[in-house]
Amino acid sequence: MPDFDWGVIWYAAPYMLQGAVVTLEISICALILATVVGIVCGLVSVSDMKIAKALVRAYVYFVRGTPALVQIFLVYFALPRFGLEFTPFWSAVVALAFNSGGFVSEIVRAGLQSIDAGQTEAALSIGMTNRQSILFILLPQSLRRITPPLTNEVITLVKSSSLLSVISITELTRSAQVIIAERFTPFELYAELAVYYLVIISVLAWFSEFVEKKLA
Amino acid sequence: MAGLVPAIRSGTRAPMTAPPLLAIHGLSKVFGDIPVVDRVDLTVAQGEIVMIIGPSGAGKSTLLRCVNRIEIPTTGEIVIDGTNMAGEKRNGHLVPDKPTATARKRRHIGMVFQRFNLFAHLSALDNVAIGPRRVLGMKPAEARALAAEQLNRVRMTEHAAKRPAQLSGGQQQRVAIARAMAMKPVLMLFDEPTSALDPELVGEVLEVIRALAQDGMTMLVVTHEMQFAREVGTRILFMDSGRVLEDATPATFFTQPTHPRSREFLRRIHVPVPAC
Repeated sequence: MPDFDWGVIWYAAPYMLQGAVVTLEISICALILATVVGIVCGLVSVSDMKIAKALVRAYVYFVRGTPALVQIFLVYFALPRFGLEFTPFWSAVVALAFNSGGFVSEIVRAGLQSIDAGQTEAALSIGMTNRQSILFILLPQSLRRITPPLTNEVITLVKSSSLLSVISITELTRSAQVIIAERFTPFELYAELAVYYLVIISVLAWFSEFVEKKLA
Repeated sequence: MAGLVPAIRSGTRAPMTAPPLLAIHGLSKVFGDIPVVDRVDLTVAQGEIVMIIGPSGAGKSTLLRCVNRIEIPTTGEIVIDGTNMAGEKRNGHLVPDKPTATARKRRHIGMVFQRFNLFAHLSALDNVAIGPRRVLGMKPAEARALAAEQLNRVRMTEHAAKRPAQLSGGQQQRVAIARAMAMKPVLMLFDEPTSALDPELVGEVLEVIRALAQDGMTMLVVTHEMQFAREVGTRILFMDSGRVLEDATPATFFTQPTHPRSREFLRRIHVPVPAC
């Protein structure tokens, strides 16, 4: 490979590591928030709460129908208009969680609905309420089924966090861009950036496989 | 078995004034335009063992599922032990129950399903314990002790720790019966409890049901096991096209069926029918 500048790779490494830490921090916070939002919305969509169900449907419709980049801009610029002043970090977390929560909600809904109707009937027949049957019977059984699609969603979330570079969050992608602007070596640094993401996602995939086996 | 009902009738409660355990009036369930259950009236006294038989599609299972409101009846009234299953009567008007009230009323009506429907993620013991624990609010240790006792009754103690997938169909169905019995039901509903079983496993399940019958449990059993219906039932209900066409003692039903369709049904399943 002609003219591959190894020097800039080592030069950028510690700075990009800081960016990677920000990416992980935002991703983890967004993931926790998205999981809570997603499970709540998923449970609502199989419940018999009509109004809440319609709201969840509208939310999922919007998240699915608009690009993540547009959602990030919307959250970043819309929140202050509603008097919600967040730091850029928390705006980023909210924006990502808003996006991911919609998809997690659909994963949870599909997981719950994939459980045989006989399980619900049996739960009702011993006097459980709808809520108890979802909580004690359907949700535990769907956990294993939703782990693989949930892993995909976590991976998507981590990768989507690269879009946050547009709202001046110095996460992994932006940290690479900063050095590119300084050294004019886009090929080397984007290659290095790809490796960083690969490592993060490989660890995630390995962890999910481990969880899946544990739940088996 | 025929001795059961007279034994109760000669008890402390006067037979004429004792309210029926189950009273169904004008029950219909319509799917689309089709009345699957069609204007059924039925009164069941405590201790009766009602065998519901008839061709498939007759509405037997739907009738059973309406009793505990797993299926919501289109019209009609179901009263169990003095409790209207649909709601509370106020000034002659029915105020429909909220879902939680329906759940509360279902607690003491046991149901056993054709496909067992054991909770797949729980051990046999926990399948039985979860009702007392979560629905009746017992302490964990108390619920597990009760579950162990019920498993022992269906002779499943040695399999208590196994998951449903590790059990045979007959074993699963026995656990399912224990699960229903742990709720101390006043009435048991069996929806073709042996229809999904391999032939050699039918006997062990019927034996458990027979034992419950001997203990005086009131039950409605949808079944295709004619020999069992005849021996264990105190009453036979023959259904076809959503209607109860015949309601008789086993002795009468199997020897002198009156309705042409019950005669034809018995002939088709090779039960000899005497000429009229």
